[in-house]
Amino acid sequence: MSTATDTSKIEIKGINRIFPTRNRGKGDGPREFVALKDVNLKVSKGEFVAIVGPSGCGKSTLLDILAGLAKPTSGDILIDGKKITGPALDRGIVLQGYALFPWRTVRQNVEFGLEIKKTPKAERKEISNRFISLVGLDGFADHFPHELSGGMKQRVAIARALAYDPEVLLMDEPFAAVDAQTRETMQDELLRIWEETGKTIVFVTHSIEEAVFLADRVVVLGTNPGSVKDVLDIDLPRPRHNSDIRSSAEFGWVRHKVWELLQNREVKAEGPHGYGPSVAEAISSSAEL
Amino acid sequence: MNTKRAGLQHFLLRWSGVAAFLLLWEMGPRLGWVDGYFLPPFSTIVVEIFNLFADAYLSVHILVSVWRALVGLLIAVLIGIPFGILLGRVYPRTAEALSPILRILSQVNPFSLLPVFVLFFGIGETAKLAVVAWVSVWPVLFYTMTGTRTVDPVQEKSAASMGISPGELIMKVILPAALPTIFVGIRIGATITFYILIAAEMLGASAGLGFLVHNAAMNYQIPRIYAGATFIVIFGYLLNRALIFIGNLLFAWQENSSTTVTANATVTTPSWRPGRLSAVAAGIALLAIVLFGGIEVDKVNKEAASTDPGAHSRHFGTPVDSGSGN
Amino acid sequence: MNPLPTAWHKIAAVLLFLILWEVVPRTGLVDPLFIPPLSGVLDALIELYRSGDLLMHARLSLARAYVGLAAAVVIGLPLGLLLGGWFPRIQTATEPLMELFAQANPVILAHIIIFFLGIGEVAKTFIIGWLCIWPITFSTITGIRTVDSSLLKAARSLGLGRGQLFVRVILPSAAPSIFTGLRLAAGYAFIMLVASEMMGGSNGLGWLIVQSQENYNITRIFAGAAVLTAMAVVTDALLKLLERRLVVWDVDVNEDYLKLKTASGEGP
Ligand SMILES: Nc1ncnc2c1ncn2[C@@H]1O[C@H](COP(=O)(O)OP(=O)(O)OP(=O)(O)O)[C@@H](O)[C@H]1O
Ligand SMILES: [Mg+2]
Repeated sequence: MSTATDTSKIEIKGINRIFPTRNRGKGDGPREFVALKDVNLKVSKGEFVAIVGPSGCGKSTLLDILAGLAKPTSGDILIDGKKITGPALDRGIVLQGYALFPWRTVRQNVEFGLEIKKTPKAERKEISNRFISLVGLDGFADHFPHELSGGMKQRVAIARALAYDPEVLLMDEPFAAVDAQTRETMQDELLRIWEETGKTIVFVTHSIEEAVFLADRVVVLGTNPGSVKDVLDIDLPRPRHNSDIRSSAEFGWVRHKVWELLQNREVKAEGPHGYGPSVAEAISSSAEL
Repeated sequence: MNTKRAGLQHFLLRWSGVAAFLLLWEMGPRLGWVDGYFLPPFSTIVVEIFNLFADAYLSVHILVSVWRALVGLLIAVLIGIPFGILLGRVYPRTAEALSPILRILSQVNPFSLLPVFVLFFGIGETAKLAVVAWVSVWPVLFYTMTGTRTVDPVQEKSAASMGISPGELIMKVILPAALPTIFVGIRIGATITFYILIAAEMLGASAGLGFLVHNAAMNYQIPRIYAGATFIVIFGYLLNRALIFIGNLLFAWQENSSTTVTANATVTTPSWRPGRLSAVAAGIALLAIVLFGGIEVDKVNKEAASTDPGAHSRHFGTPVDSGSGN
Repeated sequence: MNPLPTAWHKIAAVLLFLILWEVVPRTGLVDPLFIPPLSGVLDALIELYRSGDLLMHARLSLARAYVGLAAAVVIGLPLGLLLGGWFPRIQTATEPLMELFAQANPVILAHIIIFFLGIGEVAKTFIIGWLCIWPITFSTITGIRTVDSSLLKAARSLGLGRGQLFVRVILPSAAPSIFTGLRLAAGYAFIMLVASEMMGGSNGLGWLIVQSQENYNITRIFAGAAVLTAMAVVTDALLKLLERRLVVWDVDVNEDYLKLKTASGEGP
């Protein structure tokens, strides 16, 4: 199942994340909530890994830990074999929601990481130009976020994460808030950018279709506690962008397989805690097209 | 075409109340409904305002009052914002422990402080500036604390993901994000300041808009009282509107500018955006007012002292008119 | 983390403040003539209390502030409700006028009022009431205007009539904003109380302060200021308590300044 060797780019080793919970009024019930339990995963250099799982299974939590924004309760994250200690410019994250700075123009947003890196001004401008144009936003450089559509904002967020040239790109449901048509375009674009830049990408999504279309491997997380349920290799041919691979029988079959994995897990997870979504919700979201 | 007419209609409706009020003010004394000596018709007041301007009187008093308000506010901003950031973000637990003291201090009455400040700084400008700074520093401080605390965590997170340093986080993320809220605090501070300043000038000053009205009252120059009062109202209104306008201009980037929207204000994206140049220009203008205003205020004070040495003691603390009982 | 330590921190901070107030003037770091030590102020308070002056002045001042505030509530609240809830066109027509009125400095108005009423309690009440009325009216209008429209739709779909809608949906939704205005107004009431008492009359804490200043009785200024501050703080706390009681659904701990923000969209 795991194709990674010792030279893997990212190594997730036995991650646990426990949140303390407050039960107001109700005395019984657990005092803590296990969001992630013994998560292990290796991602090799240049690989595109997608993570799927029902809402609340800990996808964002895992990504935060990878970015160094949160500390695991136990376990380690290794990048190039070295333990991470916090956030750094070797990893870029595109957060759930756009998280743009509304007081900065598109260009200033894209240049944010470069400013932190103390890149000289002229170089900054050249780089931001390149990435603004890479995400197809030529002519919008001096616009403010509130003047952009949801899809455009998302592209700015991606450009911002790419601009300071991280080796790893972490993306948390980046296309969740855009319409279906834009989403397909952006998926194509992302694949194009990935192939152009050779980044290692960890991509969280709700949509099985999206995961299968984009990734080399799909990691299925189960809920309560969040843990790796299964990892699936996607052997669909590349390049996939601008192709009609979505309508192929092979694609449908892989998609169905992931769906079954997810659904199966969901039925078992219908526990007493009720943290997870209802079965119907999980099915409708996983069957989303 | 149609929207233009609707806009005109709205405008007329909006200002109809003011028009009716002014009409009443004009007609009331003329038709003998009220005593024209105590309440002169509005037109008399307008004439009196022009007289005041022509005498080169009003402009000096305006300058003095504006200078006091501006410098006091500047002091409040220079104290309130850094401390607001410190308490709001850097030492939140200290802020929590200090909150009762801050709340009590913010309720300390500026007028009861006036005598203390006078003792401390003498009767000159400093005491007045201290009062003005005292009243406006609290809204600036509290709004800065709130603003810096309520930054969207996702924005902070994405900055943190780039390994931003704490200092840079404050300067590049927290401060800009909190600025609209801080500006509301400054605006509130400015409005309260203007009230308090005028009142303080009535209680003891030798120049300024408050003094002008007070002096007129002492000499029973009734139209002049109304003229001064009307001018202060217009001035305060314009000040408030100007601050709202500046806020809208500066913070046009806000997704929903809830802090700056008033019931009627139409949210439009301005075609002109304040850039670095205009910021520098505004800074220079501010500095010029503070500097030249200071020189002018100093001159006015010296003049007043030489012509009327008892100007301050005369009306500080003495009853407004001879009737001391109730 | 849990409530006990923070409460202790707060008490410790207050105690530290009081100790500093006592110690710093004594050591001469600041001139004790200008800032008398706490014990001196307490002595002055006790002396004022013994002579009966303190209660007399404090009672009068409190009554003035509360009457002015009450007058502002009695006029401002219904005005805001009517304009915000029932007569939007009249509200539009009177908005700039009210905004101008709100700018009219009460101390200056007092000069004019004195022509008609003479100086006395009415003039004082007017000074206080005039400044208090606007935050109450404006925040009531804002509160009613900003009721969540989907909430209104939902309530209307349940068949609520106009009166019911007002009592059950609009008023509760507007309550936090109204209370913000009230608390703002209460603060103004005490500020203007002192100004009005400094302008004329022969009693009240404001008068006491001015009197003490003329006699260079500094500890008495501080004593008067302390009592005034206490009255303002207690009034604010009472209003907050009342709000907690009436507006159960809005129990945000960190609320104060956030809500001020929404209520201060208009007016002073
Ligand atoms: N700060 C926190 N304190 C307590 N519990 C938390 C905290 N953050 C997250 N959780 C819990 O951890 C679980 C995982 O949250 P997470 O945001 O990672 O889910 P997710 O898989 O990203 O969900 P979604 O698909 O809806 O974004 C949730 O059940 C959530 O309630
Ligand atoms: Mg998530």
